Amino acid sequence: MSTVVNPDLNAKLVKFGNKSEWNECYHCGNCTAVCSLTENENLFPRKVIRQLQMGLKDKFNSNIDPWLCYYCGDCSETCPRDANPGEMMMSARRYLTSVYDWTGLSGLFFKSVPALIIAFVLVAVSIIGVGYAKQFNLESIMEFGHVFEKMLIFSVVVLILIPNIFHMFWLTIIKEKIKAPFLLYVKGIWDLFLHMFTQKKSLKCEKNTFRWFEHLLVVFGYILLLITTVFLNWFSTENTYIIWFGYIVGGLVFIITFDFILERVKKKKELSKFSHPSDWLFVIWLFLMGFTAFIVRILIDTDLISNNLWLYIVHLIVIAQWGILIVPFGKWTHFLYRSFAVYFANIKSAELNS
Amino acid sequence: MVKQNSRAVIFQERMNSGLEKLEQFAGEFPEVKEVWFATDFSMKDKKSLSTRIKENGVEKIIVAGRSPGELKSFVSASLADAGKNPEDLTLVSVNGTILSDGDLLSVFKAKILCAVKDVHFELASDSPGNEVNKKTLVIGAGIAGIQASLEIANAGIDVTLIEKTGTIGGHMAMFDKTFPTLDCAACILTPKMVEVGQHQNIELLTYSEVLDVSGEAGDYTVKVFKKTRRVDLATCIGCGDCTEKCPVNVPSEFDAGTTMRKAIYIPFPQAVPNKYILDGDNCTYVQKGKCGVCAKVCPVECIYLDDKDETIEIKVGNIVVATGFKTFDAEKVERFGYGKYPNVLTSLEFERLLNAAGPTGGSIVFRSKDKKGNGIFEANSDSPERIALIHCVGSRDENYNTHCSRVCCMYSLKMAHLVKEKLPDADVSEYYIDMRSFGKGYEEFYERIKKEGIDIIRGRTAKVEEKNGNLVLRSEDIEGMKLIEKEVDMVVLSVGLEPGEDSQKLAKSLNILTDDIGWFAELNSTNQTVNTVRGGIFVAGVCQGPKDIPDSVAQGSAAAARVIQSVINSKVKKGLSDLSYNDIETKVNELISTEE
Repeated sequence: MSTVVNPDLNAKLVKFGNKSEWNECYHCGNCTAVCSLTENENLFPRKVIRQLQMGLKDKFNSNIDPWLCYYCGDCSETCPRDANPGEMMMSARRYLTSVYDWTGLSGLFFKSVPALIIAFVLVAVSIIGVGYAKQFNLESIMEFGHVFEKMLIFSVVVLILIPNIFHMFWLTIIKEKIKAPFLLYVKGIWDLFLHMFTQKKSLKCEKNTFRWFEHLLVVFGYILLLITTVFLNWFSTENTYIIWFGYIVGGLVFIITFDFILERVKKKKELSKFSHPSDWLFVIWLFLMGFTAFIVRILIDTDLISNNLWLYIVHLIVIAQWGILIVPFGKWTHFLYRSFAVYFANIKSAELNS
Repeated sequence: MVKQNSRAVIFQERMNSGLEKLEQFAGEFPEVKEVWFATDFSMKDKKSLSTRIKENGVEKIIVAGRSPGELKSFVSASLADAGKNPEDLTLVSVNGTILSDGDLLSVFKAKILCAVKDVHFELASDSPGNEVNKKTLVIGAGIAGIQASLEIANAGIDVTLIEKTGTIGGHMAMFDKTFPTLDCAACILTPKMVEVGQHQNIELLTYSEVLDVSGEAGDYTVKVFKKTRRVDLATCIGCGDCTEKCPVNVPSEFDAGTTMRKAIYIPFPQAVPNKYILDGDNCTYVQKGKCGVCAKVCPVECIYLDDKDETIEIKVGNIVVATGFKTFDAEKVERFGYGKYPNVLTSLEFERLLNAAGPTGGSIVFRSKDKKGNGIFEANSDSPERIALIHCVGSRDENYNTHCSRVCCMYSLKMAHLVKEKLPDADVSEYYIDMRSFGKGYEEFYERIKKEGIDIIRGRTAKVEEKNGNLVLRSEDIEGMKLIEKEVDMVVLSVGLEPGEDSQKLAKSLNILTDDIGWFAELNSTNQTVNTVRGGIFVAGVCQGPKDIPDSVAQGSAAAARVIQSVINSKVKKGLSDLSYNDIETKVNELISTEE
């Protein structure tokens, strides 16, 4: 089979946040050897850099390896060329997100800050428009908000996430001619969910234990907050348990994300040294979601919400921007692609080893 | 006469390190119309420059920068494209190695002046030269210094050779075999050392250091700090009774710490001078006023425990600097566990193990501990069966030294071969980034070693850890497309070369320049390889940059040639830093008027 070489591939990656130093790489293999997660079946980061340098676009697009990296930063720290392989893997993930996304919006938002701002403003204006249409009546806006959240989750999953996962499957498994028996797929399901919710693999990066724990709390806090607000109707429930539960998970989300933001400001760890706009958006919006939800509920409990309607509208705007823009097209997708990558990679290596 | 307003000066990049003034300076000549920067043009598109040439009516271009040659073809093509003579360009090297020093501004100014006025810089900077004192000083008695001293002395010129340690020989004396011929290092070096010791034209000052240098080319006054040996060289018979009785044990420098020596000692049996030294820093008598047993047992009473250091002054005409290097401190790379795991060795330690005259008589053995807990090597210990050699430790690495140390690939191959010779069943593996076998016969040597059953693996080792009492190293096998986690018994770290401890201090007293790394700067890397910015001061050996033994010897001879040349002519040319801009300007004007 012929291989198409695309010399512009690296320029493309730079638009996704790759540092220009990546090309300093002289292929000593240090990054791969120092990596705690790489295995014989998935050799990275060096091999990924190689594909990038040679412009092997098809191979690069079908590569699962970038998703198997949890960015502990060992490779960048010890790289003898200061080529930042860790950040290269991160930009590869952004790029691959845009490759999987059938709408093309993901790539647009990763590459263009103006486009991102326009989209965010549009969403905000629409929500305010809805408020206007409802004559800024608190109850009907909250009612709308509740229905809107459910509809949003459903449509994002059906219209964007599922098709994109299938696209990823097509690129990494079908196109790579991996013919695994169906049973392997069934067996792997447990692993899929385990990795989705726990990021168990990242524990292998020794320095990551605390970070892993923080991340675990955020994932659970986020999911539980979602369940409490959307399905247990946190904002209108009278059930004391649910109310307190909501406070705990909401607090968890914004306190830990605040720490994530601080780390990105301090830039002390390799992991938080470089921040792409998408990284900032992700942590800040996650923080805002937890924080505004928390405040809204406090205002409800203190009967102050009717005087502070605007705060609920802000909360709704944050939710809408998160749900419409960041979840389907931004960094949130890591949650899915990472776990499916582990799933696919296991199937792939089981098939290759058999 | 050069037409006014007809030239452009292109700087390779914006100047820095105090050289910014050059940009304005170049623009002030009436002949110069434009000052440009190469960074403003697209190297792929000659039109970007040729349109500017046409617009401004430029006839000739002067390119200045660290390596102006890089722009030559681009500028030449652009001149042709603009309908001008493509050969009307002059390159001015504002050399990187001397960029960091503001004092040299006048030299660079002079170079630009010459280029603008169409005068050869070599002509304008030629000076009649100073009278020369025939006596020559060589600093450092490693192979380069020894070679230079012998060449000069054999030409009938008096040489004073200064060595910091108690013996001449330097690092080469520590080595077993040389690559690629596998000659015995001592068989080449020892006769030269003996010749130095006996040469009637060589005055040897061991245990001495240069403190200060004053004067000018042809007439330097050098202050030398002579540490006392506390042993009289003339009367010591080298019997060794003192060593036997001395109660102090310290790691031996000559054996790279693989064994212990006494406070009164002889560095190694073939040392020149072959006399004992009392190391005052470790002697109980010198430090605390007690003991003195060595002086009591000495049969010829040649030990003077209360001797003091002295400072002497010598007058010389030329100086050859050959101070060598130090090896990279492997403890800095924590991931390799040097200092933590006893059987992770530096290549210098391993070199001593391999040496038939070394502490183990050439047996490769595990490190053991003496009574006081010092890690030493003893001939009767067990031998390792699996040995790994890791290349580029501290070299080619942005975290430590970025330069290639040039010798490590070849000495590692040599070591692998010697291991196989001594332990034929040993499992020997090497891990490299790129195999740099660049010298004469080196590639052939590499091919030969490859066939000796040694695993030579492309892939830099990332870490060495201890698991279940074994050392485990982790590497990517790039050609085999797999990860390697290999258990071994011993790891040898091929440490790189660094400028010597005191090189900056010495550069200051000599008033010569060093490059960004700290190596002594040669004047020009292609045709003035041993000259420095000062007249009558030359460099040789690794102190000028990493090199192997053949190259060090060659450079030692080259430096000697410059010295001999100046003595025969009775004149030594001034160095660049001795010339003033005004002198050169006067000369340029003279040359222009004679032309007309």
